[in-house]
Amino acid sequence: MEKTPFIEIRGLKKVYKLGKERVVALDDINLTIQRGEICCILGTSGSGKSTLLNMMAGLERPTKGKVLYSNKDVTRFDERRWALFRQKNIGFVFQSYNLMTGLSGVENVAMPLMFRGMDKDKRTRIAKEVLREVGLGNRMKHKPTQMSGGQQQRVGIARAFVTNPKIVFADEPTGNLDSKTTTEVMELMVNKSRENNQTFILVTHDNGIARYADRIVTIVDGKIVRDEKNESIARTREQIASDNAQEVRQQAAAEEETEVSAPIPADEAAANMSTEGAE
Amino acid sequence: MKIFDQIAMCLQNLSRRKVRTALTTMGVVIGTCAIVVMISLGVGLQKSQEAMLAQMGDLTKIEIYNYSGGAGGTSSVPNLDDSMIEQIAAYDHVDVITPVVQAEWGKINIQCGDYIYQDSIYGVYPEALEKLGYVLKEGKYPTGKEKDYTILFGENGPYSFYNPKNPEEWHDPSSGDPPVDIFSDDFTISVNAQDPEGNAKEPEKYDATVTGVLVGDWNKGYETVYGAFLSIDQLYKLYQEYDEFNGISSTSSSAFNPRKINYNRVYVKVTDMKYVDEVETKIKDLGYDTYSMETVRKPMQEQANKMMLILGSLGGISLLVAAMGITNTMIMSIYERTREIGIMKVLGCVIGDIRTVFLMEAGLIGFGGGVIGVILSFAISIVLNVLGGGGLGGLMGGYYYGGGGDAATQISVIPIWLVGLALVFSTLIGLVSGFSPANRAVKISALEAIKHE
Repeated sequence: MEKTPFIEIRGLKKVYKLGKERVVALDDINLTIQRGEICCILGTSGSGKSTLLNMMAGLERPTKGKVLYSNKDVTRFDERRWALFRQKNIGFVFQSYNLMTGLSGVENVAMPLMFRGMDKDKRTRIAKEVLREVGLGNRMKHKPTQMSGGQQQRVGIARAFVTNPKIVFADEPTGNLDSKTTTEVMELMVNKSRENNQTFILVTHDNGIARYADRIVTIVDGKIVRDEKNESIARTREQIASDNAQEVRQQAAAEEETEVSAPIPADEAAANMSTEGAE
Repeated sequence: MKIFDQIAMCLQNLSRRKVRTALTTMGVVIGTCAIVVMISLGVGLQKSQEAMLAQMGDLTKIEIYNYSGGAGGTSSVPNLDDSMIEQIAAYDHVDVITPVVQAEWGKINIQCGDYIYQDSIYGVYPEALEKLGYVLKEGKYPTGKEKDYTILFGENGPYSFYNPKNPEEWHDPSSGDPPVDIFSDDFTISVNAQDPEGNAKEPEKYDATVTGVLVGDWNKGYETVYGAFLSIDQLYKLYQEYDEFNGISSTSSSAFNPRKINYNRVYVKVTDMKYVDEVETKIKDLGYDTYSMETVRKPMQEQANKMMLILGSLGGISLLVAAMGITNTMIMSIYERTREIGIMKVLGCVIGDIRTVFLMEAGLIGFGGGVIGVILSFAISIVLNVLGGGGLGGLMGGYYYGGGGDAATQISVIPIWLVGLALVFSTLIGLVSGFSPANRAVKISALEAIKHE
């Protein structure tokens, strides 16, 4: 791991003023992340993990300290330069998906390409391809409101990866999803990042999904308390896969149980099927 | 972002809230309509007034009357003589000037065979006739450079010839031919004997050429109908001969003295209607009385302008209300779209693009409303003109020349400049109304916005 640092955070500090009180959200964070690394920032709510992500993405300004991308200081970028920087280098996956409700799946995915000024035909073609890759080949023309949470998040993932960015940020990407969908979504994101040697930064409070990362940085009260290689990642991929399979089986079993104990009328079940779709 | 994508996004946003967009646009439509129709009424009024005035007389002619004129004026007003005419002719915007001297009746005869013309002989600068707007019916204008006596008749001038031996003979201008043919008959001109019996010899008859006849126009004056025009120099030459022939001594009060000319009527033509006031004021300041259509036109135009201003302001108020509607709609739209704006920012949309889309939406509401408003205004204008043929415009102009469907009697006239003005103004209103909301949209914090529900 002796590469040049891709993302470097030096002495980052963020202080919020709430009335007369000063709240230290982040205190002297130093962190180096390599190209292609899959890094999880783990912390409870209020630990400052989201603030850290926001500052890495230029959505918030640090009180002190620097953020460098490939040795380039981006801390003092103005809004326009940040927008262009995000346009070129960063993909985002949100907890609440943040899709445009008025646009179809394809249009949502193609949006970052539109901001870059790409032709409509070209960007639609690319967006369709990425949507197929995330398994939504049959839901392209649907509006987000016609999709399940898992499908919406897949659209969100497709949108984050469509520009083939160097970095993808995911802020509690599975917070609104059930465990089965969580597994699918996490694997999708991690696999895509690995495929393209993209740096993937996952922000979560969930130990369960942290295990997908190569490295877990734990933040408590605005300070990094632990920075370690993921031990579970040392296990073979097969193991994770079998774990997941087991989980799915358990879940399926649980669902069957509920079905047995409380049978759902046929048409309602059909309705569920249609809204749940590809899940 | 490409401009095409910006337009597409703008249209998409507008069409997502069809009802609100339609209602907001309706506000602009009504505002535009109000302004255009109101101003068109004012323009219509002005047009019919101008047409009416043009019927009444030449709008660019100033007539100077010098009531102290005649030999030996006593007032402090300077003599209106040739040098004064030169002075006035040198004023800015004066196109042409001529004194108009009506020959004293009975001093001069125009003769053709047995027929004599004694009606109204005028001395003018012949070269000024055309510019003064006297229209030729036949022949040509005299140039003023002819050596011989040269006459230009009013339209019915040839009918005014009478036969002294048969005074009952009457030629009606509305039917039948005049007793003389101005182009083939020979004319002579001569002075008259003051006392025909007491004079042994006949006055000398000079050959005269008739160059043409004018179109008679009562609005331009009697002279164009029954008059005869001579050059003023030729008229004065005849005056002198009259004095000599009748033995009037140069010291007599009735004697004609070219050095003491004081014209009592001078016509001035200015280059454009808008200069009439300026030139007329200067002449008035010299102490002369003047008359021009300006004295009629000005208060009428002021009245029409005032009316246009009042009507236009009424329309303006409704457009102002529409502008507030646009601002309101755009602000509402921002609140609704805060989250979307945030997402766009996070995904790397530069703020300029966001501002452009918002301004486009507001501008499009303004422009679209303007276009529909103008179309609707034309429809309203047509309805007004059809229904109200005897209304405002008819009242002002119609009675004078019998009304009817000609353009001058239209109540509502929408000139092309008004269309352009309405479109530019409504678009501008949209842009101005959208400006502050657009800036507000740009200032939204991306972070706050994506948390926004």
